Amino acid sequence: MPDKTISYEELAPGYKFPPATYELSDSFVSKYLKAVDAAGDGFVPPLAITACAIATMTKSVPLPPGTIAIHASQELEFLKPVPIGTTIECHIGVAQKIARGKMSMLVLELEILDKGREKVQSGRATVALPV
Amino acid sequence: MLTGIQEGKALGPVVKHITQEKINLYAEASGDFNPIHVDESFAAKTPLGGTIAHGMLGLAYVSETMTSAFGESWLSGGRLRAKFRESARPGDTLTITGGIFCIEQKSDVLYANCSFECRNQKGETIITGEATVRLPSGRE
Repeated sequence: MPDKTISYEELAPGYKFPPATYELSDSFVSKYLKAVDAAGDGFVPPLAITACAIATMTKSVPLPPGTIAIHASQELEFLKPVPIGTTIECHIGVAQKIARGKMSMLVLELEILDKGREKVQSGRATVALPV
Repeated sequence: MLTGIQEGKALGPVVKHITQEKINLYAEASGDFNPIHVDESFAAKTPLGGTIAHGMLGLAYVSETMTSAFGESWLSGGRLRAKFRESARPGDTLTITGGIFCIEQKSDVLYANCSFECRNQKGETIITGEATVRLPSGRE
């Protein structure tokens, strides 16, 4: 889990969040599957892995009270099946920060590695926030 | 081995009912407790007028649709680009559909190019996007 936070104003292109490690335990996967109302297939659902990566960012950037952040778009690439019990490391960086009128668009790059340092997933998320 | 993968094949439908309980469960599983998702009194005072589901919850349903069609190929060779058009809310019923619009070969590898969308019970578009799946060699 991230152990320090950064303000939204401090985020700039090139900033890398401290990597966060998650164990994709059986209990985590069960909780996720219940939440998304799905049956398991022996692997960690790829979007459960993405959720961990996004949590790395949301826990590191506390938004001012009352701020609504809207997830605008998401790109993902899944590179290998991830067995339950795998430990992953989430790397997130700020690719772009764009002001559009009263909104700010934050483009984040995600890269997720397994314990063997093999990339299991990568992607890009765009989040819109009021300036 | 994948069977029935061909141009024009329909994907889904996968139908899911959204409840506040499911949104709360998703918040617990994902660690995303943004009040717009889980705090009904806070959300009621915002321009959205109430809580909304996490965009990633809807996208999880899209991924389930793709896993149903492509199995492990989706987990090891899937790509998607999605846009969140509208918010899903408690009480909504979401239907995820899609289709394979093209199968193409690049450097001896076959890819299925797909489109998908997620709509609510009013027909409003919640998520749209495209996905590509690398197909295993020797597929039937």
